[in-house]
Amino acid sequence: MKNAGIILTLILMAGSTNLSAETYLDGFLQGLWGGRLDGKNPTATEYTVAETRLQMRLQHYGDGGEFFGRIDFTHDAADSVDYDWELREAYMKFSLGSKLDLKVGRQILTWGTGDLVFINDVFAKDYQSFFVGRDDQYLKAPQTAIRAEYYAGLGAFSAVWTPRFEPNRLPTGRKLSYYSPMEGSIVGEGFYLDPPTPEAKFENSELATRFSRQVGNFNTSLYFYRGFYKNPLGAVMDVFSIMPVYPRLNVYGASLRGTMMGGILWLEGGYFESRDDRDGDDPLMPNSSINGLVGFERQVATDLTANLQWQVDHMLDYDIFESQQMPGIYVRDETRHLLTSRITKLLNSELVRLSVFVFYSPTDEDAYVRLASSYKYTDEITIEVGGNIFTGKYDNTEFGQFQKNDNGYLKLTYGF
Amino acid sequence: MNYVKSLKYLMILTLVSVAGIGLSVLAEDATGIMMKSHLAYYYAGDDGVADVTMTIADAKRERVKQFTMIRMDIEEGGMQKYYTYFKKPSDIARLTFMVHKDPKETDARWIYVPSVDLIKPISGDDKNSSFVGSDFSYEDVSGRHWNEDTHTLKGDSIWNDSPVFIIESIPNEAYKGFARKTSYIDKTSYLPVLEVYYNKKDKMTRIFRADKIETIDGFPTVTIRSMENLKKKRTTTVDFSSIRYNQKVTEKIFTERFLKTPPRQYIK
Repeated sequence: MKNAGIILTLILMAGSTNLSAETYLDGFLQGLWGGRLDGKNPTATEYTVAETRLQMRLQHYGDGGEFFGRIDFTHDAADSVDYDWELREAYMKFSLGSKLDLKVGRQILTWGTGDLVFINDVFAKDYQSFFVGRDDQYLKAPQTAIRAEYYAGLGAFSAVWTPRFEPNRLPTGRKLSYYSPMEGSIVGEGFYLDPPTPEAKFENSELATRFSRQVGNFNTSLYFYRGFYKNPLGAVMDVFSIMPVYPRLNVYGASLRGTMMGGILWLEGGYFESRDDRDGDDPLMPNSSINGLVGFERQVATDLTANLQWQVDHMLDYDIFESQQMPGIYVRDETRHLLTSRITKLLNSELVRLSVFVFYSPTDEDAYVRLASSYKYTDEITIEVGGNIFTGKYDNTEFGQFQKNDNGYLKLTYGF
Repeated sequence: MNYVKSLKYLMILTLVSVAGIGLSVLAEDATGIMMKSHLAYYYAGDDGVADVTMTIADAKRERVKQFTMIRMDIEEGGMQKYYTYFKKPSDIARLTFMVHKDPKETDARWIYVPSVDLIKPISGDDKNSSFVGSDFSYEDVSGRHWNEDTHTLKGDSIWNDSPVFIIESIPNEAYKGFARKTSYIDKTSYLPVLEVYYNKKDKMTRIFRADKIETIDGFPTVTIRSMENLKKKRTTTVDFSSIRYNQKVTEKIFTERFLKTPPRQYIK
């Protein structure tokens, strides 16, 4: 209801600002079916996804600004038949003066340099979609926010203010299993506790800022975020129960990206300050950490591109953390290393696209492989077949916890 | 006898020198023609905006892409900047693409994907790779510098009732794009009207044709062009509509800010 109010206001604003206006409508109809490859998955359903999706996009622009709306209607048959809709985007874009650009409303936001590795990209992610084969656009969950970008000679300054905190969307056990620290094992349905989002107060809003400047061949940026961890990494105990919560977080970061050695090189770093546990001694709250990333991408042969990334996640106050762990379960290393690689090959004049993305942690001894092959049959019809494979030595590592969720999928899309 | 021999020797020497000078004059002409052709085709005006319909057709089906392209010359015959806004089909609609072309160095390229709000620099050393899946390569779209090949004027001919130069070009360094190219250059406009590409086995691989030439804003322009790929048995036809030159495009448009927010004064 609140969203409908926003859309209506934005349409009226857009409608009133133009002398010459144009409207475009397009979208797609998509069927996505995926099944689990591991019979022992404790989830409620055998299908990881079985949905029909209709996306409609409306773009309206005039002299004053632009309105864009994107809405999804889904029919989900994975377990009980369910109809749903989601307003993916509904925003208004306009400029104030010649240097200030504004984007207001429900929108997808991305920044940072990593390829599926996020340090300063503090915007909500949708792992439920990511793990079952939905389109890349579904990796990010929309946030209702105001984005302002000011372009000065010195550089570009961006600020995103999200009044109501938007968390990541994580597996709940219904279609994808995960590790429950409470149970001490990988669980399916029935163990999910919906963490309460912070109260709707001004101090609980999110503020993400970035300053960008071109220095020679490199685009350099500085970031600051004040908000919360997007995963419920903390917990609160009261007399009867233990509830997962989203702890407070500040991120201070920097990145640079540019061309070098015939390819693209990127470097990013961030200091994650866990505001609810600055000393690291609260066993229910995450410790602060330092994160670093280096990556390189290059076109290796005709229509073949590959990249490599190395991420380092160093936990601060590790000795306190280690002493607080229960015996018998795997305890992560002080410094977790993650290596990733993406290889993409285009065939048949870009009509066939093969890609594989590998996440591998030598310290946690787990991995996640994403495979996808798509064929653009006509301008309107695309067929995609893919899979998601998880493997891990332990049940409680980042990818190891999803090891029973191996799945394969088929996706048909008709665009119009 | 010595006198006759040395006279003969002198005559041969003279003939060879004259021929040498003649050949070098001819070679300069050929390079000069190719330079003029390059500028006429790729650098017309200080900038240009065009709405483009690209049709890729083979025996089975046809694919159509529509986009608007903005070009700005930073230096005549030198650095150029390109901005492309895709309109159709719907899976690439609203995607924007930017190239900073420097003939001396590798191009810098970026793409913006609005559905994920992602600006991504694209690594691409390979100017020979296909431009958006068509039979035109990046090099066909932004140009191959005339100094990269050695040109020879083979003569002249008539093509579509117009007199043309026939020029043969061979790359100075081994190049997988072609081993030899024959170009028909219109004598009046210096636009290429026909280009035949041969591979190292001297087999025809691609044929470029200027299907329609019109004068727009005083500049002779190839408004419909096609590239036939003989190996793939496919032709890409590019139709430029509503071309306008010298729109006073500013360099600031070719920045990340405008990748995210397309300049509406040029894109309808």
